[in-house]
Amino acid sequence: MKKFLLSTALLSLFAQPAFAATGQANTSAIVMFLVFIAGTMVITWWAARKTQTTSDFYTAGGGITGFQNGLAIAGDYISAASFLGIAGMVYVSGFDGIIYAIGFLFGWPVVMFLVAERLRNLGRFNFADVTAFRLEQTPMRVLAASASLLIIALYLIAQMVGAGKLIVLLFGLEYKISVIIIGSLMMIYVFFGGMTATTWVQIIKAVLMLAGGTLLAALVLMAFNWNPDAMLAEAVKVHPSGTELMAPGAGVSGNPLNALSLGLALAFGTAGLPHILMRFFTVSSAKEARKSVIWASSFIGYFYLLTFIIGFGAIALLVRHPEFYSGLAGDNSNMLTTLIGGTNMAAVHLSNAVGGSLLLGFLAAVTFATIVAVVAGLALAGAAAIAHDLYANVIARGRSTEKQEMRISKISTLVLGVLAVLLGIVFEDQNVAFMVGLAFAIAASANFPVLVLSISWRGCTTRGATIGGFLGLAFATLWVVLSKTVWVDVFGNAEPISPFPNPGIFSIPLAFFAIWFFSVTDKSARAVKERDAFTALTVRSQTGIGRSGAQDH
Amino acid sequence: MQDTIVEKVLKHPKYAELVQRRTRVSMAFFAVALAIYSGFILTLAYMPDVFAQPIGAGWTMSVGVLTGILVVFSAVIMISLYVYFSNKIFDPLLDAIVKDVE
Repeated sequence: MKKFLLSTALLSLFAQPAFAATGQANTSAIVMFLVFIAGTMVITWWAARKTQTTSDFYTAGGGITGFQNGLAIAGDYISAASFLGIAGMVYVSGFDGIIYAIGFLFGWPVVMFLVAERLRNLGRFNFADVTAFRLEQTPMRVLAASASLLIIALYLIAQMVGAGKLIVLLFGLEYKISVIIIGSLMMIYVFFGGMTATTWVQIIKAVLMLAGGTLLAALVLMAFNWNPDAMLAEAVKVHPSGTELMAPGAGVSGNPLNALSLGLALAFGTAGLPHILMRFFTVSSAKEARKSVIWASSFIGYFYLLTFIIGFGAIALLVRHPEFYSGLAGDNSNMLTTLIGGTNMAAVHLSNAVGGSLLLGFLAAVTFATIVAVVAGLALAGAAAIAHDLYANVIARGRSTEKQEMRISKISTLVLGVLAVLLGIVFEDQNVAFMVGLAFAIAASANFPVLVLSISWRGCTTRGATIGGFLGLAFATLWVVLSKTVWVDVFGNAEPISPFPNPGIFSIPLAFFAIWFFSVTDKSARAVKERDAFTALTVRSQTGIGRSGAQDH
Repeated sequence: MQDTIVEKVLKHPKYAELVQRRTRVSMAFFAVALAIYSGFILTLAYMPDVFAQPIGAGWTMSVGVLTGILVVFSAVIMISLYVYFSNKIFDPLLDAIVKDVE
């Protein structure tokens, strides 16, 4: 096993069994994954024929229903990182894993009560359309595109690196090959099938993931006669932390400000993630947007409950299988450090323990599919930022034709795909754990304040939004770079400069304050016009009237 | 053309009612969501002992784990209630406005 893990020789595709003990699982995983690929290729071929205009490309022509979109959003949200990551965190420290899940989930009430329907009424392709509705095109689009591309790059790197390593373990592929496979599949889906293919890939994957998670959690509970407390009791008995599993850990209570800060970024970041917000333009009306949120949050909430069961179940059951560890001590004291493949693999091993090689194969295939689907969604949002914001509205100033914009967005997709593969390879041995957190912090500190204030506060002006947005972006980024996760863990300095890793508690209020301050002090003629335009914006955001007539400005 | 539609909507008697009621409802929901969420985060950050206790004699499950599960449910319930309000109250108002204006 170890030899295989360290092996960097270029292996022939699928030749190496992933688990020494369960070579069988590898075959079923590969078969199921190939079936998934074949299915999604058919969908892409079907979607390609329907993808003619920019509206088809970015938003599937607005023809997705609320239920379908809810599943697609849940698919985007239940990435491999959040499924395996949260199950792994529960495996390591019990209760603390729940905190992350709740933070991610509480992004949804925020999205629903503050932005979802208005977003749908005001924009066409992405959230930059909304911030540029009454404010000046160029600065708003540059801000939105900068923040979006930064978020997408961070997310892409985190997914590619995590995914590459996971696939090395699950399928026995070489790291570079798995990264290239992910990149190529993503480019095919997005390039040919646009949002229609991306959405359907995401829907299929979400259904598979929900089904697989349900089965896994059910098998775990069945092992404890359907008594969750018996499972928890067993987990507490075998875990080195004992009853502390049930309580907030030292990492949280030792630094309450950091916990608070993380909580804010998780809850407000969702309403600023470009690839999530983009999904609200794929439905036909604000009413369908609303339905998307209820389905999305139900599926996500349900899935997180499953993840808790899976995480605690992994603690309780995996120690009965010493073959999943490299030298498990008799008292389990090293159960966190010796789990093969690291603690993020807890859910994967668990599927093998309770469901055998078939369930392991299924879960491995779904995880691979998940990564491809999430990466495709990110690439599409990135292509929209480049082609729709930077090219069509900033460089060409709205004088480009739809055909030109479409061409640029397809070129962007290819460039992003190649870039994702290259970055995935460059960052292979880097510590990328901070990247998703930073992406959420930037989304919460730059995109979210600008979006919310531009649609709900009359006084918001271009000057305020631009300065506030860039300040939030710069502050959050700088803080994270100077914190332990980057300054010490990546750059190797002795002491961090930021007192704790998460910037949200300062960067989010800072952005709001700066937008307010630089808006109220803005006495320009442009500011007066922008405040006057708020009435028309409100009418549109509240009623959706006139949306169909909204063309490129 | 655009302006006349905007003016027509603004003059519509139900428009002010729609905006006012919808703003009030979504702000109230947002406040409740924020209270639940920040209550949860503040408790675990500043009063971890409260969450560490088992929910009863003979139980392993702690107050924190149970609260976490309930908080997950609360998010979905709040969103469902909001959708119910929107369908029952706001959509009829909105439909009336759209019908008169367009």
